[in-house]
Amino acid sequence: MIRSNRFTPYLLVAPLIALLLFIFAYPIYKLFDFSLKRVRGFDGENIGFANFEFLFKDPVFREAIVHNLQLLLAVVPLLLVSLIIAIALYERLRGWRFYRTLVFMPYILAVPIVGVVLKNMFQFNGPINETLRNIGLPTLAQDWLGDKNIALWTVLAMVVWRESAFGIILFLSRLLALNEELIEAAQLDGANWWQRTRYIVLPQMKGVIEFYSVIGLITMTASVFAYVYIVPGKGAPANGTMVLELYIYNWAFEKHQPGIGAAASVLLFVVAATLMFILFRVR
Amino acid sequence: MMTKKNAAGLSRRSFLKAAGALGAGASLASALPAFARGLRQDALELSLWWWADDPAYKTWVDDTAAKYGEANAGISISTLQMDTCCVISQFTTAAAANEPPDIQFFFNGIYHMENVWLGYVEPLNDWVPAEILEQSNATSLSVYDGKQYRLGWYPVPLIWEYNKDAYDKAGLDADNPPATWDEWLAACDKLKTAGITPMGGGISDGFWGEWYLGNALTQSLDTPGDAIDLFIGDKDFRDPKYYAFWSRLEEMVSNGFMNDDMLSVDLFTAATKVTTGEIATTQVVGSVAASHIPLMGDRVGLMVMPVFGEGALAGVPITDTQGWGIPSGTEHKQEAADFLMYMQSPERQTAFWETHNFFPGNKTWDASVVTDPVLKQMYDTWVGGETSVYIPDLMPTQFWTDAMFVAAQEIIGGNMTGEQAGEQNAGIVQQWRDLNPDLVENYQKWAEGLAAAE
Repeated sequence: MIRSNRFTPYLLVAPLIALLLFIFAYPIYKLFDFSLKRVRGFDGENIGFANFEFLFKDPVFREAIVHNLQLLLAVVPLLLVSLIIAIALYERLRGWRFYRTLVFMPYILAVPIVGVVLKNMFQFNGPINETLRNIGLPTLAQDWLGDKNIALWTVLAMVVWRESAFGIILFLSRLLALNEELIEAAQLDGANWWQRTRYIVLPQMKGVIEFYSVIGLITMTASVFAYVYIVPGKGAPANGTMVLELYIYNWAFEKHQPGIGAAASVLLFVVAATLMFILFRVR
Repeated sequence: MMTKKNAAGLSRRSFLKAAGALGAGASLASALPAFARGLRQDALELSLWWWADDPAYKTWVDDTAAKYGEANAGISISTLQMDTCCVISQFTTAAAANEPPDIQFFFNGIYHMENVWLGYVEPLNDWVPAEILEQSNATSLSVYDGKQYRLGWYPVPLIWEYNKDAYDKAGLDADNPPATWDEWLAACDKLKTAGITPMGGGISDGFWGEWYLGNALTQSLDTPGDAIDLFIGDKDFRDPKYYAFWSRLEEMVSNGFMNDDMLSVDLFTAATKVTTGEIATTQVVGSVAASHIPLMGDRVGLMVMPVFGEGALAGVPITDTQGWGIPSGTEHKQEAADFLMYMQSPERQTAFWETHNFFPGNKTWDASVVTDPVLKQMYDTWVGGETSVYIPDLMPTQFWTDAMFVAAQEIIGGNMTGEQAGEQNAGIVQQWRDLNPDLVENYQKWAEGLAAAE
């Protein structure tokens, strides 16, 4: 029998910790290091907190934060759309297995592919506006991607459309694992569809809904780069779809100022870490 | 005797055997790179990273690499075609990590000069004879502090292309396109009356704005150094002379002379509309206009942007050049230089023309083979004659993303005037100067060199 002392568990996990440190700690250290420098190539002159001062004064940075906050609003429709469609499929509508495959299709396609297709569809003279004009609704034809006041909401709708596919499958798999006896019992007791959904189904899905909400928040905060880079194009029109990811990318790779990109990343890191800390404390 | 086994069922003997085998394998693996290096001493493989306006130029690049390998025993060239987004940024990263390729494609001006200032690009003067450097047509924007860092590959003429049939339909003289701004506005009126969009483009990706700035800001400049003065603060975008080009754009937008979907389409999607006559005029580069010849024949019209500015460069055809350089970090500079010189050989220049029906950059190339009237006009005007450099090659990249890209889209969206764009541009260049005092110094030195070259 192997005798262990209190250090044994730490020794056992040490290799993995070392690997994680190697993968994550050095980049995070460099991130903080870069944020205090005017980086040229791989290093640069130390300039204190000048990069952070710049960020706090930069209107584009504020604009990017506002846009990310606006995108967070998408989490609500994302949840609702996913839930409603998942429940509808769970009710085993005629051909539900086909619909299940169909609704998951957008999620299988890579964002750039979806992006290029949607970009063409939403052009000012693209198929969507042409259809609206041809059915006598020309006033509804908008410059979905070219109007600064509309473009972000167009992107939001696209994100909801594609990302809800994952939610639908997630919710549906949970629904299919529910104890059907409870539902049948409620049915025998005379509960209607809404009552069964409200009092039997949804309470049992609380965990997966919470999980998907967190996924949605992460998506809207840190996974919309491909959408805004491809669909309207580089945060167009005129920074109308600028988000934090693109802002960081632009400074790091387009404007060759990795220091400012790193400073913005550090702020994002600090905010995310704080939120995680609060979340863990609450739970 | 029973062998003691661990929980997984692996005997101590098996474990020791496996450990021994792994150790031997690891030793062999660590010896392989040295072995491979030894082999490479006899067979040198040069790496080449490249990009081109037309991806089809791969045929010539690969053919040139293959033929060079055939002619030079023991040397081979491996080519890697890069994406527009990454061809320079990946080079910078590789150079910083001291792992650059041996030969690198470079855009002109600031797009390679930033790497020059970081010490990642080798001056070619010690490796390539002066006459070849000059003949390659790399332009003055490849020179810094008296040293040349690129050899030219092929020219990139900046052209206003128009559809002659559309001009005919509007009652214009298609063989004599407008030369002044007033003539242009009058032509736009006629085209609009005929139901044709006079000027078109797509700006969702921003490049139409860059080309517009290249064509239009140049008209207010006397020398390329004036553009650098605008960026380093010796001249001011708030001066009406230097935001006039934005006002001209505003004028075209407010008169309804441009396509209504400009903000939602990209550059090349919109450019093809000139071939169908949906738009009468657009901005293109030479290779794009050449690709329209099979579709339109001699109905492809080429003109220099009509003149509104009073700078010495107003009305002068603008031509950029793509090119090649040698990274400082390569151990094979002489071999890389030999390959670059091979690219400039008459045989390779002719092969470029014959393969892609587009001109190589070298000044010694015999252009008498160009018989197509459109291509001949393009060559005579934008390559063989007096030309100006492409001013956006001097823009700090921050100006591209924050000033040019934003101002062009705001004006086209009707949200900004030319004067406001000048104000916005001035603010961005001030911001750039504050953030990059070291680059401002380099720019000043660059401007002095350009002024001396004029």
